[in-house]
Amino acid sequence: MTAEMLKPKFTGARVSRLEDARLLRGQARYVDDIAVPGTLEVAFVRSNRAAARIVSIDPSAALRLPGVRAVWTFADCPITIKNRGFQVEQPVLAKDEVRFVGELVAAVFAEDRYTAEDAAELVQVKYEALPPVLDTRAALTDAPRRVHAERPNRFYHKVHETDGFQQAFANAPRKLSLTFRTNRQTGAALETRACLAMPDPASGRLTVYATHQSPHNLRAQLARLLDLPENQVRVVVPEVGGGFGIKAMFYPEYAILADAARKLGRPVKWVSDRTECLLADAHARDAVHELEVAFDETGRILALRDHVYGDAGAYPFLGYSGAVGEAGWATDMLTGPYKIPEVSIEIDCVFSNRAPTGPYRGVGGPIGAQVHEGAVDAVARALGMDPAEVRRVNFIGPQDFPYETPTGGVYDPGSYRESMERALALVDYERFRRQQAEWRKQGRYVGVGMCCFVEPSAFAESEAGSIPYEAASVRMEPNGTVTASFGLGPTGQGHETTMAQLIADQLGIDVRDVVVLHGDTDSAPFGGGTGGSRSGTIGGGAAIRAGQTLRAKLVKMAAHLLEASEEDIELVEGRAQVAGVPARGLTLRELARIAYTDIGRLPEGMTPGLEVLVRYQPPLAATYSNGIHLAVVEVDIRTGLVRVLDYIVVNDCGRLINPMIVEGQIHGGVAQGIGSALLEELRYDGDGQLVTTSLMDYLLPTSHDVPRIRVEHLETPSASEGGFKGMGEGSLIGAPGAIANAVSDALAPFGVFITELPIRPQDIVHWVQTGA
Amino acid sequence: MSEVQTKVRIRLRVNGAEHEVDVEPRWLLSDVLRHQLGLTGTHVGCEQGVCGACTVLVDGRPERSCLMFAVQAEGHEVTTVEGLTPAEGLSPLQAAFQAHHALQCGFCTPGMLVTAEALLRENPNPTEEQVREALSGNVCRCTGYQFIVDAVLAAAREGRS
Amino acid sequence: MKPVAFSYHRPRTLDEALALLRSEPDCKVIAGGQSLIPLMNFRLSRPGALVDINEIEGLNRVEKTDGGLRIGALVRHQALAEHPLVREVCPVLAEAAGHVGHWAIRNRGSLGGSLAHADPAAELPAAMVALDARFEVASADGVRQVPARSFFLGYLMTDLAPDELLVAVHVPAQTGRAFGFHEFARRPGDFALAGAFAEVGPGGAGAVTWFGVSGGPERCELTFPEDAAAREAAFAALVEPFDPGQDAPYRRHLAVQAAERAYQQAVGGRG
Repeated sequence: MTAEMLKPKFTGARVSRLEDARLLRGQARYVDDIAVPGTLEVAFVRSNRAAARIVSIDPSAALRLPGVRAVWTFADCPITIKNRGFQVEQPVLAKDEVRFVGELVAAVFAEDRYTAEDAAELVQVKYEALPPVLDTRAALTDAPRRVHAERPNRFYHKVHETDGFQQAFANAPRKLSLTFRTNRQTGAALETRACLAMPDPASGRLTVYATHQSPHNLRAQLARLLDLPENQVRVVVPEVGGGFGIKAMFYPEYAILADAARKLGRPVKWVSDRTECLLADAHARDAVHELEVAFDETGRILALRDHVYGDAGAYPFLGYSGAVGEAGWATDMLTGPYKIPEVSIEIDCVFSNRAPTGPYRGVGGPIGAQVHEGAVDAVARALGMDPAEVRRVNFIGPQDFPYETPTGGVYDPGSYRESMERALALVDYERFRRQQAEWRKQGRYVGVGMCCFVEPSAFAESEAGSIPYEAASVRMEPNGTVTASFGLGPTGQGHETTMAQLIADQLGIDVRDVVVLHGDTDSAPFGGGTGGSRSGTIGGGAAIRAGQTLRAKLVKMAAHLLEASEEDIELVEGRAQVAGVPARGLTLRELARIAYTDIGRLPEGMTPGLEVLVRYQPPLAATYSNGIHLAVVEVDIRTGLVRVLDYIVVNDCGRLINPMIVEGQIHGGVAQGIGSALLEELRYDGDGQLVTTSLMDYLLPTSHDVPRIRVEHLETPSASEGGFKGMGEGSLIGAPGAIANAVSDALAPFGVFITELPIRPQDIVHWVQTGA
Repeated sequence: MSEVQTKVRIRLRVNGAEHEVDVEPRWLLSDVLRHQLGLTGTHVGCEQGVCGACTVLVDGRPERSCLMFAVQAEGHEVTTVEGLTPAEGLSPLQAAFQAHHALQCGFCTPGMLVTAEALLRENPNPTEEQVREALSGNVCRCTGYQFIVDAVLAAAREGRS
Repeated sequence: MKPVAFSYHRPRTLDEALALLRSEPDCKVIAGGQSLIPLMNFRLSRPGALVDINEIEGLNRVEKTDGGLRIGALVRHQALAEHPLVREVCPVLAEAAGHVGHWAIRNRGSLGGSLAHADPAAELPAAMVALDARFEVASADGVRQVPARSFFLGYLMTDLAPDELLVAVHVPAQTGRAFGFHEFARRPGDFALAGAFAEVGPGGAGAVTWFGVSGGPERCELTFPEDAAAREAAFAALVEPFDPGQDAPYRRHLAVQAAERAYQQAVGGRG
């Protein structure tokens, strides 16, 4: 093969997305767009108490309402989610007791949603109040009571300490301690969760449409809970309006809908309203990190001690607890891009009478990055050093890879210092510092904040489950076009384009001749879905390997038919030809026709058809992207309001499949990070009532809040096929810490140092006024 | 109860076509567009008037279809994303959205398009600040807005040339 | 998130509307609906009947009168913000209208609706109080005039009887006084955390009308001190009795800042 033949045409290019047309024309089909005649609509009665015993549920008035077909309580749908890993059971409809505001109590099935909501109001639920568990510290000692009588509230405890920690910590010349706190947030995908379940009387099978990130995972969970063979359940994930982790989870609504479709014998549909989303979609980021930093006078960090308290809410999700997942990720990545040799980590996760916590883009990454970047900036402030200089002192260098972290991860090569230096050049750091001093004299408080992050991606295990591989099924149709199928669960990432780019390059065809399918368990190969930034790297690797396999067959066929040697065959622009003699060639269309319908011409022993199924598992347990976010903010000290003036991202996710899509992912994560740092907070009151139940209270960033973002790419390839690293979460990992540090920097004259997110304007005013 | 729920027959003019539909007065325009007329391009993200996904044009002006009852739309011209879409291919604004990667999951996209289309009709030469102001009532959770703003500015440039 | 059932009336004339308001029990007027429908979707508002005034002729006009402007109740916020007469006669009102919600909300939300809803964090009720507007309130019995300054009675409460309709507002031309406006919100378009209108007359005599910091618009007269620190102290003393609810000290602090910025705008001559 010549170098020219290997040069990719689409991989690495800014290819316009193939999925865009239907989305732009208003023709895409999300779950609620699918209309099935005879569908019953569902409205749920949810607990309005954080903790209470259910005395009685009286559905009689609701049942009398015309148009109401059924009202279900646990007795009608006795399905219990058994969380073996956490030894806690969750009835899909509350049984005897409710444990958070928003927990499902009853389901109403009616001819339309309006009627269903009318009836839901008429279901009479009598409660007997119980004292809610709302304070994490108190919960540790089972005060005021246990959330689950059979389990202590502290359901997860983990300690990890490196052998040299005690000595390093004791001998360190300088120490400081900080308590970082992040408050509850949620992914808030714009499409709310939805499910449409329908029986097929002819086959007896059940079809479930859902807005979800992992079709096969959902199928497995439904089959298990309903005690059905997996081949009797078909899960179809149509267009999904954003996921961000919350749609990777199994929710009790899906079990109820699936059960109802079978028992009522009709299609049933539920579309969450926004209030239900805020009440009961996976919450995230509810954690406290008590951090101690040991360092020396040069700024070298010698050891970190971190005690993490995580709030899991009332139940873990099936197989995954957000509190455990976040604390694990945050502490696994506690040393970030720095060569900090010794750590001591303790994690305590508790149940509470708040909504369950689960994954949100970046999981514990944003918290971990905020903690290590806060530590670095605190050290800089303590020593009177520049924050960039402290980072230079501590960075893992190019000579250190593969680098084993004190928490057991093994980093593949990255561009830690290089990315920071590039960002500093882009913002003209020295000049900024001089300008900053001028502004301060004028009473303008402008700060710069950095967040250098390492993003683990494409894990062997993640919230997508223990599936360290992905499958690609690639078929060249008899006319030479290609249909590929994946077990991924894209929610806007553009896999129909990126996977097509990779396959098209292997086969020398136009990207528009590749159709990528996903989401239907009847046609997609088994896969883990999308989460943990795994699709580009693992799915992309599968796409390349499958393309290679198909390519090899085409080359073999062409060599036989053209009477040339395989080494001389190239696939170019839809043709297989002899290199250097383009006239000696065949179109792929002709090859495909022969492969299916003129098989007498195939080489001896070759099986007919052009279809491959390839599974790909990357060589490493994870591959680590890295980068830096650098934010410039101005704080109005009179109002406490923060404006982001400039934003720079230097990102290294290995080889890029489509830079345009990568930049889109980065922009979106930065926006979410600005929300995390400045706007978004799910607040509970002292009774355990969620008070942020609408988007008027849970504030999402708008076009006014997100500045223009400057993005540059570095490319340190991974060892995975194609050299890709995952990058879907890094942008949200880097952003909150960058904003926090920028606000700290702006307010340095007042001694303010940010350790709690989101940053509330009233707090800024208070700190400035009191010099706290 | 049954008295107030009686359906009424209304005539709706949507995307230039007349429709006769029986609706309850309480049915939101967004629901009637989507579930009675099958125009599912208009999306519903909050029913609180905040997210902007359900934005449609009423007599040419962007308004929230979740904050309007379908009965109120009688006698007015409603335009949805489907009405801004050519029979084949993409409108110049839609093409700019594709070229600039102004959409990811696509859920906010119809509301963005409808709003931006109205902006460009009213102000064919907007500044970036004016584009951001016009779109500030439309939440996008995926893109961070930058490529959407770029797309609208590019469509404006192309419209002028 | 679906409203409860209601009967719907769409009168074509004012008389018809007023008759319905009298005859229909448990009924509410709907104009733009941008405050009412969110409440109905949450089922926090559950009217048995709606009287839709959108199709009544003549309620959406802005006219110049001897004393100032007469603005119809159905004038939309966006129209108010853009209307040449409003911008000429009362630019601070146009500016405040431009701060209501977002574009799509302003295109449908109406002046009368905002005033009748009387959200304490809303701009336009405070604008009316600051500008000493007079409201034309109609019922089947006739029309009465209500000064804006006695119309707002507290959180979501007004002087409007259930069978009355706010038809128009009269905004007097502002002579000899300069106006300024400022508000703070977490994000542009959100309800204000605190906002203020400042009116400054000869010798610094004038008033501040605050919103977002109490149950309704709060107008306080004062002579603006020339010294900034003294002014701030004066504002702080005036806002001290207000109860903004959540984050009260901060929002009172913002109220002071808003008053100062409104004052600066007024004396800068942009009011």
